[in-house]
Amino acid sequence: MSDYAIGVLTNIGLVSFIALSAYLLLIAGEMSFGQQGFFGVGAYVAGIATAMYGIPLPVAAVIAMAAGAAAAFLVGLPTLRLRGLYFAMATLAAAEMLRILFELIHFQREIDGELVGPDGTQGFRSIRWVFEAGIEPADFLVIVWALLALAVTAFIVVERSRLGATLRMLGEDPELARMLGIRVERFKLGIAAAAGAFAALGGALYAHHNTYIEPRNFDIMLGVHSLAYALIGGLGTVFGPLFGVLIDIGVLEGSRVFQGYRMIVFGGLVALLLVVRPRGLLDERFVHRLRFRAFRHT
Amino acid sequence: MLFDLLQNTLDGLAMGSAYALLAVGFTLIFGVLRRVNLSYGPAIMFGAYCATWVHLNFQAGVLALALITIAGAALAGAYVERLCFAPHRNGSAIAAMVASFALWMQFEELVTLVMPKHLYDFPPMLSADPISFGPLTLPIEALVMLGCALAIGFGLQRLLYRSRFGLAVRAVIDAPVAAQLAGINVPRILMQVFLLASSIGGLAGYLIVSTHTQITPMLGMWSTLKGLLAMMIGGLGSLPGAIVGGLLLGVLEAHSQWFLGPQSRDLLAYLLLFALLALRPFGLWRARHAETRA
Repeated sequence: MSDYAIGVLTNIGLVSFIALSAYLLLIAGEMSFGQQGFFGVGAYVAGIATAMYGIPLPVAAVIAMAAGAAAAFLVGLPTLRLRGLYFAMATLAAAEMLRILFELIHFQREIDGELVGPDGTQGFRSIRWVFEAGIEPADFLVIVWALLALAVTAFIVVERSRLGATLRMLGEDPELARMLGIRVERFKLGIAAAAGAFAALGGALYAHHNTYIEPRNFDIMLGVHSLAYALIGGLGTVFGPLFGVLIDIGVLEGSRVFQGYRMIVFGGLVALLLVVRPRGLLDERFVHRLRFRAFRHT
Repeated sequence: MLFDLLQNTLDGLAMGSAYALLAVGFTLIFGVLRRVNLSYGPAIMFGAYCATWVHLNFQAGVLALALITIAGAALAGAYVERLCFAPHRNGSAIAAMVASFALWMQFEELVTLVMPKHLYDFPPMLSADPISFGPLTLPIEALVMLGCALAIGFGLQRLLYRSRFGLAVRAVIDAPVAAQLAGINVPRILMQVFLLASSIGGLAGYLIVSTHTQITPMLGMWSTLKGLLAMMIGGLGSLPGAIVGGLLLGVLEAHSQWFLGPQSRDLLAYLLLFALLALRPFGLWRARHAETRA
């Protein structure tokens, strides 16, 4: 495989994590404009852990996920009762605050005669754990996709369980869910924290893939892209958001056919697609029909 | 110290007038459609870039540039309405919002394709000296901006509550089906509201770029965020609230920039938005049609 193909495939895997986190909230009926903030938290925390304290990446990734979940929990606590647009704006405000905090952090240590650590708007250089551990780009690609497969499996298991049914009920009608004895607030906080952890894991891997991160990487563009991925791919199955990422990064960027005006094509495509299928290509109806067909033949 | 406070307040009011104008256009769309148009700022940017292009290639006066900016923003607004809002009128608010974001991408790439430099100069509106009150100064542009914000806010309020068009708009807000049955052409009213809001945005955009005398593609995101912030502070769907919210945001930013620096200024603005949403989700001024489910 060429280096370019490996790079594109790794990127698809990395962005899929934040798309999954947006998807998780969307099926529970919440639209978050702020998942990029937790992606950033994951990137910074994991980067600080490996580059400044020599903690191995697997441990650092777990710490990053915990940090992402904690941050999402803290943001979720005061915004629980908000819905729709209000929740979207509150999460956007929170993510922008996080981004500005990244700009304000100057926290460096001298390691091997070189200053390492986040340096405000100058970014955070030399997150080289993957390189120093002798992991080739192709191996890193396998690691990213294996973790993604694990996450997708978790999603599939959850969606088939009672928990998954509750999740979708919460998205359809929270009042009904409350009447059926579901503790809506507690549930939502749990979902927000889980979505934060997924985004943070993506961020941790992103930081180690790029070796350099800066606050600008985690601006609103990333957040709205992740929402768009979930929404064009479809809200019917966990493969929807992955499909959305594949369409954008894989087909449009990877093929280089539309170089220079990829965004014009992608933007028009998304807008038109949403007219025809407001809940994405692989929406609930499509998935149900597919399942029905599959079972009829067996 | 007192002098700094006063001067900062004046500067803040000047900036706040721009925010107020942006918020008025935003509020108009939100109040009528109950939808957030993320492409509001990018449409303004598109209009301002049209004017910049004309300025670079032809001789055009101040008035012509202002009109081109407004027309460009209205044209872009109409495109957004057709593609993102008309099809989702009875459907999903989320889909409409994400679709409007998709068009934002288009506008941004379009202007960078045609005009690839990061920064372009824009001619100033007038080259008069700022007015001074003793030691305090206030640029003329700021006065024009404040005047425009107040005049448009007042005019819109009158238009909405004293004209047949306004009556139709309010009927569509309250009961779209009944309005349709009463013979109001609802899609047309919505299109007109969109054009009106985008034109107001275009005017705000012209005033802003001619005050700064430069333009970058960041104008799109900046306008959307500031308009949204001011609208949220003022209470969704309320015109007086949008103006007060814009002025308040401007003054707050000017003071926090002076005392704490530009990054803390933005941090504080977002903190204010977050706290307002968490504590007073209806805004400081409760709007007539406010609801928590949007």
